[in-house]
Amino acid sequence: MENVIREVFNEVWKRQKGTEPPPLDADTLLLEIGLDSLGFAIVVTQLDEKLGFDPFSIAQDAYYPQTFGEFVAFYKKYAPKI
Amino acid sequence: MRSFRTRLEDRHPDLPLLVTEQKRLRLDDLALPPESDTSCPDGKVPARIALSLRAPEALIAALARLDGRAEAILLVAPALPPGLVAGLVTASGCDYVVSDRANLPGAVPPEALVELGLSRLHGGVTEWIMTTSGTTGQPKMVRHCLTSLTRTVTPMANLTSRPVWGLTYEPTRFAGMQVLLQACFGEGTLAVPDLGADIRTVLSFFARHGCSHLSATPTLWRRFLMHPDLAGLALRQITLGGEIADQAVLDALARRFPGARITHVYASTEAGVGFSVRDGREGFPTSFATDPPKGVAMAVRDGRLWLRPEGSASEYHSEQRLSRDADGFIDTGDRVAQRDGRYVFLGRDTGVINIGGVKVHPEEVERVINALDGVGMVRVGARSNRLVGALLTAQIVPSEPVADETAFVDRVLAHCRAHLMREAVPATIRLVDQLETNAAGKIRRA
Repeated sequence: MENVIREVFNEVWKRQKGTEPPPLDADTLLLEIGLDSLGFAIVVTQLDEKLGFDPFSIAQDAYYPQTFGEFVAFYKKYAPKI
Repeated sequence: MRSFRTRLEDRHPDLPLLVTEQKRLRLDDLALPPESDTSCPDGKVPARIALSLRAPEALIAALARLDGRAEAILLVAPALPPGLVAGLVTASGCDYVVSDRANLPGAVPPEALVELGLSRLHGGVTEWIMTTSGTTGQPKMVRHCLTSLTRTVTPMANLTSRPVWGLTYEPTRFAGMQVLLQACFGEGTLAVPDLGADIRTVLSFFARHGCSHLSATPTLWRRFLMHPDLAGLALRQITLGGEIADQAVLDALARRFPGARITHVYASTEAGVGFSVRDGREGFPTSFATDPPKGVAMAVRDGRLWLRPEGSASEYHSEQRLSRDADGFIDTGDRVAQRDGRYVFLGRDTGVINIGGVKVHPEEVERVINALDGVGMVRVGARSNRLVGALLTAQIVPSEPVADETAFVDRVLAHCRAHLMREAVPATIRLVDQLETNAAGKIRRA
């Protein structure tokens, strides 16, 4: 899961910014890496296409992850159980 | 009709009017010249003046000098490219451009307003011409006046702690002007962060200056909620507007600021009115249809919201063509659905897509993409998204087989970025063999 998220992050970054993506650690603040709301929205959409779910749509609790680690955990929490 | 300056002078003189990263100003610090009540010199025609000002203190001072004296004030965002400014100035018939920007040829500095020596308008009201953003960046003009703009501005009842309003919007836009006017006339202080500052800097600026009241789009609120420094703010009033506020963002704000009043505002550019909802739930109570908020009457017909401004509707003129019925109701073009005693917003019926508060016309995006070599047919649609409301998707049928799909998509993106606002650039582009068409052979919109 984390690898897929990293991959999509990097793809979106390259396409949006045309530069090398920044390193992502568990405690990296998502809003301080330089991607705007639209950029994040695109990441969420691409992940929906790849993973088949969007935790922001299915989560009942109002939650907005702040760090990359929280973002990954949010996806793991709502991943469809097989 | 009381002018902007007269109403500004109702404020307590010691009260800070404006704080920026560099300055803290009271009304006196604006050094407005004494009010003169000279009559109109012979042959002198009332002026129409365009303002494109970066410094908020210059904007407030100019408004104080011009409202009630100029025939019209055109408010232009300081970041608008010079070519677009010139187009607006011509279209609105302005005689002067007042600006503190370096890139507007022919503009005069704000100090020059003194020399214009404008006399008071007799029997007239200054027109405030504001702009709304368009897909291709060319703004549309909407006419207001001070009375129509301050209809929802309320005097502060409890003055034991004065509000400090944080400005997140461009003040020349409708939502930003609402915040500016509420701060000015509601015994408040306007806190304006630097243009283009990053989110940490903005939040730290608001925290340092005791920002207590903040108005932003749901998209920006979600962004604030994703930053730990939001915790440094002691907010008493939270206002959301410009796009649909969903339950998730309302709940997240209520949890973060349990003591704050949370208001989501619905405003229709078409109808020139709006209303507020304060119960913390998305949409609005169905009871509003029979017992509407002050200043507006509403009706829901065929799943669309119709509004009628009460009383002073004539003060507002939109450049857009309005569908108005015999009873004066105006079609807002917004779709609503009834759910659990509420009407919730579903989006626009007119095809306009709201992306993070920016209204995008998919037809304009299609026109831009269609102009590119190698594009046979294109359909632009929307895909809902919890962070920004919606994202644009494009399906393209190439005019001839494409060898390198990635290179083709990159070329389309580059072309879109060169001709469209950022929000209007499709988030996903897919190459397809054919587009779905309906029975009439028209391209079907999802």
